Amino acid sequence: MTTGSVEPLSKLHALWGDEVDFVDVVIRQAHPGPGAPTYHSFEEKMRDAEAYQREFGIEWPVLVDDLAGATHQVYGGLGAPTYLIDSDGRVAFYVMWTHAPTLHKAIEQLMRQDGRGVVNGGVDRTPHILPAMTDGWNGLRRGLPQSLIDLETAAPMTGVSAWLGHQLRPLLAPLTLRAKPLPPAAKAGLALGAVALVVLGAQSFRRDSRRNDWKRSFSRLWG
Amino acid sequence: MQNAREQIAQGADVTRWFGSLDDKLSLDEYNFEHFRAKHLLSDARATIEKRGVRPGAMAPDFELPRVGGGKLRLSELRGRPALLHFGSPS
Repeated sequence: MTTGSVEPLSKLHALWGDEVDFVDVVIRQAHPGPGAPTYHSFEEKMRDAEAYQREFGIEWPVLVDDLAGATHQVYGGLGAPTYLIDSDGRVAFYVMWTHAPTLHKAIEQLMRQDGRGVVNGGVDRTPHILPAMTDGWNGLRRGLPQSLIDLETAAPMTGVSAWLGHQLRPLLAPLTLRAKPLPPAAKAGLALGAVALVVLGAQSFRRDSRRNDWKRSFSRLWG
Repeated sequence: MQNAREQIAQGADVTRWFGSLDDKLSLDEYNFEHFRAKHLLSDARATIEKRGVRPGAMAPDFELPRVGGGKLRLSELRGRPALLHFGSPS
């Protein structure tokens, strides 16, 4: 999950770092395995946090929560959330499944309000899984093979999708690892493209099925 | 203990009162050895229940050790907006 957010957050930091203080808090090992074992001491957790900051090139302070996750739990214990805190120290907004474009819009609004108050309804609950599907593998790969086996057992196909997303990264990243929302025209274009693909596929399937040529329609789809 | 939540809401340090919270996970439950379906379900439930610090409320204050040395206290950042990301390296 988290590792899918690092690149978009870095882009967000490049846009807003002069006006907003970014802070990361390292929580538990979400997908433990041999290369990323469950923390058994604070020193282990600190060492892993150092590696996390270095490997992912995080340019803002990385803090380390205690083993029991006191801070994480008081903030709700969510998978990988991000809070936007206003200039007075109050919660302006939070996104339960970290999503940089949603945060970008919230920061823009907070700036319009002079850095104070609740913005954009205060909470975003959308399960934004595309960043995790594109770059979540970077976290998962640290605990192989146990991290993948456990995830596939808990939720079949999610680990495999993360691997697939990693293979398709060059294609997906411009869409899924953004800091700014896609322009409306691009969204409309993508939606149109998806509809066109479905229509074309259905037409070709119908034409071939009229001739009872199932084999051909399948080979056209998959070949 | 309700008192602990109130103390935290009024700006007391998280770590000082955390031990008194009655709805916290135990160390083993929190710091698990295997990712299981229940963890995914708990994320889904948290999303549905809108768990988290209510917008408009004070962000609970904490002081945590920082990679590279030193500590950082959240309330020191007041005066500018802050973005607080919780994440796991795996």
